Amino acid sequence: FGQIQARFFIPPGGGANFFIGSWVEYISGKVFFTTCSDLNMLKKLKSAERLFLLIKKQFPLNVSSVSKGKIFNEMQRLVNDDPESWLSAISIWKNLLELDAKEDKLSQRDANPLKRKVEENDIINPKKLKTKQMQELQESRECQLEKQTDEATVEQGDFLTNREKSQEAFQNDAVKAVAAPNQKDLTFRVSCRCSGSVAKTFTAQEVGRVIGIALMKQFGWKADLRNPNLEIFIHLNDIYSVVGIPVFRVPLASRAYIKTAGLRSTIAWAMASLAEIKAGAFVLDPMCGLGTILLEAAKEWPDVYYVGADVSDSQLLGACDNLKAAGLQDKIELLKVSVIELPLPSESVDIIISDIPFGKKKKYSCRLPFFVRVLRVGGTIVLLLSEDHHRRLQDCERGGIPWNSKGSHTDEPGIEKCLNPGEKTDLSDTVSSSAETSGQGDLDKMPPFGSLVPVDRYGVSLGRTGAFICRYRKSPSSAASRLAAVSRFQSSQGSCTALKAVVSGSR
Amino acid sequence: MKLLTHNLLSSHVRGVGPRGFPLRLQATEVRINPVEFNPDFVARMIPKLHLVEVPKGPIEGYEHDEKFLRQMHHVLLEVDVLEGTLQCPESGRLFPISRGIPNMLLSDEETET
Repeated sequence: FGQIQARFFIPPGGGANFFIGSWVEYISGKVFFTTCSDLNMLKKLKSAERLFLLIKKQFPLNVSSVSKGKIFNEMQRLVNDDPESWLSAISIWKNLLELDAKEDKLSQRDANPLKRKVEENDIINPKKLKTKQMQELQESRECQLEKQTDEATVEQGDFLTNREKSQEAFQNDAVKAVAAPNQKDLTFRVSCRCSGSVAKTFTAQEVGRVIGIALMKQFGWKADLRNPNLEIFIHLNDIYSVVGIPVFRVPLASRAYIKTAGLRSTIAWAMASLAEIKAGAFVLDPMCGLGTILLEAAKEWPDVYYVGADVSDSQLLGACDNLKAAGLQDKIELLKVSVIELPLPSESVDIIISDIPFGKKKKYSCRLPFFVRVLRVGGTIVLLLSEDHHRRLQDCERGGIPWNSKGSHTDEPGIEKCLNPGEKTDLSDTVSSSAETSGQGDLDKMPPFGSLVPVDRYGVSLGRTGAFICRYRKSPSSAASRLAAVSRFQSSQGSCTALKAVVSGSR
Repeated sequence: MKLLTHNLLSSHVRGVGPRGFPLRLQATEVRINPVEFNPDFVARMIPKLHLVEVPKGPIEGYEHDEKFLRQMHHVLLEVDVLEGTLQCPESGRLFPISRGIPNMLLSDEETET
């Protein structure tokens, strides 16, 4: 479960541009929108955790000065006030799934899926279906795109407990799930999430039970907790009451092409998207772990040179596995190397994207300047930083202290300008004066290459913890360009002849 | 490890500096992988390479020379070194390549800070 700020959805030229929809609104981790896209398109949404078809969205329940019984009545009204909206939503959901199942069958049957699909589609005339869908959708039925929010009051455990407890209540009525052609024969399960003041008054189980009983009474459906036809998702908090149907059984965040995910794929994709990867770019992840970020990026922006580096054998093996499983081994190169000694030429990399390992060890944030060296001027860095790391960097930026400081705020005037864009400061002064505070060997000779200009940052939720995606750009500085000229190594004669030899040799 | 990558790697052994390039490659196991030819991509990679003295004349307009691009494509992207070593030309330090991944971790003493 994770929360991503809506700004990722407004594509910076990135992945969501295939997505045809109109924004309705963004509230607290959920994005509500209307769309005419079919499931195939919706499946491609990359920065969303889950997708729901909206049944109801309305004002939050007032739990303050009213009796519990009255609030239960309010909840029942979610079902009873407008049963039509439930039935239409369910019929749309069925249509979506049927259409999707047909397309799946077609593509499975085919030797040449693309060609056959077009022909078959003509026969079935899905255009008609789609028009109908659009009409229904436009009659103010909204598809709800949901990123699960992490409001601390509700544990994931609640979600499961809800099912268990409801199981006791509904044991007598539970039936085996059957694909029900008729709405009357639907089996269902209610999943409920409460947060804010609602959660203080009710448990998710109580709410689930009330809604479940109301549904049974209203529509005659049977409850099935193991394998229902239909899942109903309810989220009650201080901002809204939302009811929806999960569109896919498997969350969007779970990718078919990723064997073992490290970082959650939605965040990895969002980071890659923010990096504005262009064709022909050289993209580096200097702490790639299992390679999740590179996988998401290579999947979406394939005509790019990707390199992942890590010090851990087991992580690199896992990354290798992941690459093979995704069919991306030709797109992503791996190196076993440390961030502090990247064996790459200065200013050779266009984009760096990395999930900085969390934890209290300051060494990780202190390593950042090392990979700044390999980044070209004007290049972009997108990092996932823990709240700690982020705070430290903010302190550095505010106090004008370069990142290699251990957080002591020295107020030497020269340092002030260190991280400001456009200022031609001699960085070598600032580095030597702050390095003494660190006490770590690497830092004493920190290469002062360029200055990083913060572009923007986004708070994200990783479930139990929060983090920040921070984007920086490398700006030129006079000290940096001098030093870069010195350290960028010259090719020796050897390299050119070697290449020529291989070219002619391979004939 | 593709040869494109080899072209961009240099040794970071202490004191070596710019003489740590190019790494001498000895391959014991090589695989040729067919990779889809994308002329635009290859053309964009060429300026990143460390080629000495790009002669004027024949190389101008290389982006449109399909024969040349195909050659470069094959060399840079289709040759995959699975096992072998890279050697720092200055210090002689050997870096093994295993399962296609070069190991260039240096010990503390070797590290160029």
